[in-house]
Amino acid sequence: MKALLNKELRLCMHPTVFIYLGLVLMLLIPNYPYLVSCFFVCNAIFFVFQQSRENGDALYTAMLPVSKAQAVRAKCLFVVLFEAVDLVLMAGMCALSIVAMPPHNAGGTDHGLSLLAFALVLFAIFNLIFLPSFYKSGYKAGSAFLKGAIGVWIWIVIAEGMMIASAAAGSVPFFRFLQETVDCFPQTKAAWTVQGILFGAALLLWALGTLLAMHLSVQRYEKVDVQ
Amino acid sequence: MNILQVEHLNKQYPGFRLDDVSFSVEEGSIMGFIGRNGAGKTTTIKSILNLVHADGGSVRFLGSDLWANETACRKQIGLVLGMFSYYPRKKLSTIADVTRRFYADWDEDLYQQLLRRFSLDPEKKINELSQGMRVKFSLALALSHDARLLILDEPTSGLDPVSRDELLDIFRTIIEDGAHSILFSTHIISDLEKCADYITYIKGGKILCSTDAESFKDAYRLVSGEAEQLERYRKQLVGYRAHAFGFTGLMPRDDAARATDLKIAPADMESIMIYTEKEDGHESAAE
Repeated sequence: MKALLNKELRLCMHPTVFIYLGLVLMLLIPNYPYLVSCFFVCNAIFFVFQQSRENGDALYTAMLPVSKAQAVRAKCLFVVLFEAVDLVLMAGMCALSIVAMPPHNAGGTDHGLSLLAFALVLFAIFNLIFLPSFYKSGYKAGSAFLKGAIGVWIWIVIAEGMMIASAAAGSVPFFRFLQETVDCFPQTKAAWTVQGILFGAALLLWALGTLLAMHLSVQRYEKVDVQ
Repeated sequence: MNILQVEHLNKQYPGFRLDDVSFSVEEGSIMGFIGRNGAGKTTTIKSILNLVHADGGSVRFLGSDLWANETACRKQIGLVLGMFSYYPRKKLSTIADVTRRFYADWDEDLYQQLLRRFSLDPEKKINELSQGMRVKFSLALALSHDARLLILDEPTSGLDPVSRDELLDIFRTIIEDGAHSILFSTHIISDLEKCADYITYIKGGKILCSTDAESFKDAYRLVSGEAEQLERYRKQLVGYRAHAFGFTGLMPRDDAARATDLKIAPADMESIMIYTEKEDGHESAAE
């Protein structure tokens, strides 16, 4: 697996990946739906898969002493690593926002554990749709990305829309609770607990979702004839 | 001992069927796998390596089930699928460095020797290489991890005659120790005349024969005669070409022995393949 990951990083990595990772700086834009920055990470993953296809990665890998299942797992692990790097960078931006940004985000979810939790859910959705869809054929990266992107944007609209609505309808008990506990950095122990549980649940969802995506991808790619 | 044993391989595609393909490769030998374009050579090779899922059959490598022990078996197999056309903007040195990490038995000295022998500059990028040089790079990678079996799909396509000859010499050197073998698919039959110990001939997804190279050639004779003799021998001819002065064709050895009024010559592999592949058994020079 180490050799396969080395192959992913040195042969399959698209140069624009670093530019897309840099878009985490969007978290410093005032009043912005920050989950949008995660979509660009999904975009970068798509470019890596597309570049791999164009460079004949499947046939090169076929010449190596690895099974198709191992090849798929390595690609999925690369996706996980890439998303994890983005989450670490997002956490850094959230920390930076304490001193660099005014509190409360009118554009959606504010910097905090809740933003990271929503990002994890976004990546789980993307992985669950994109990976099995791509490995059904082993080459249709475009349609797999389109399906994944639709799922991601639906989630962005729901999550960010919910937070905008909570700010707009602050007097409504449910939204007030949501805003106080989920939006911005938590001020109380209860709010920390709620965000902590939210983040933990999202982390679990991301892990289980990606494992399921990997399992389905392996199953589907086993049926594909490498041409 | 058989290093590779393929038994009853089947694969159904719309419009093409790999039909009950069986053959074996002995240790210390070169097996030429011949057939025209689209005959099923690459599909067979990919099915052997589980890259294409066979509908049925089995493949044993050194006695063990290759599909069940894929990773372990594949470490001892060197595979070349045509010329190297992957990652065109990467340097040879980068690709080699990535590849070597998959093989515990990677022989760096041998790899460097092969680079020098093939005049390959490791700092060049793949897209800076000619077709022939790409094939050579592919072979250098495949030969550098002490593979017991080399499976080469059209390895000499795109190579100049001198490089091809050089490569065939390398193949002979590889199998000299009796422990290494080569399965070599090609439609450049002259290459096999020079180096193959055995021939497996596939036509339309079916194995026509799998035998040693001498028996393969000895099973047929090239015959020629006058136009009026053609009608008499038409049924015995595997294939023939009619021309203004008569005909030339291919006939099974035993039939040729009885055709005492025809001119008879030993058959070469290329003639056997050409006459066997004629769709309707014959071709007229006037057509």
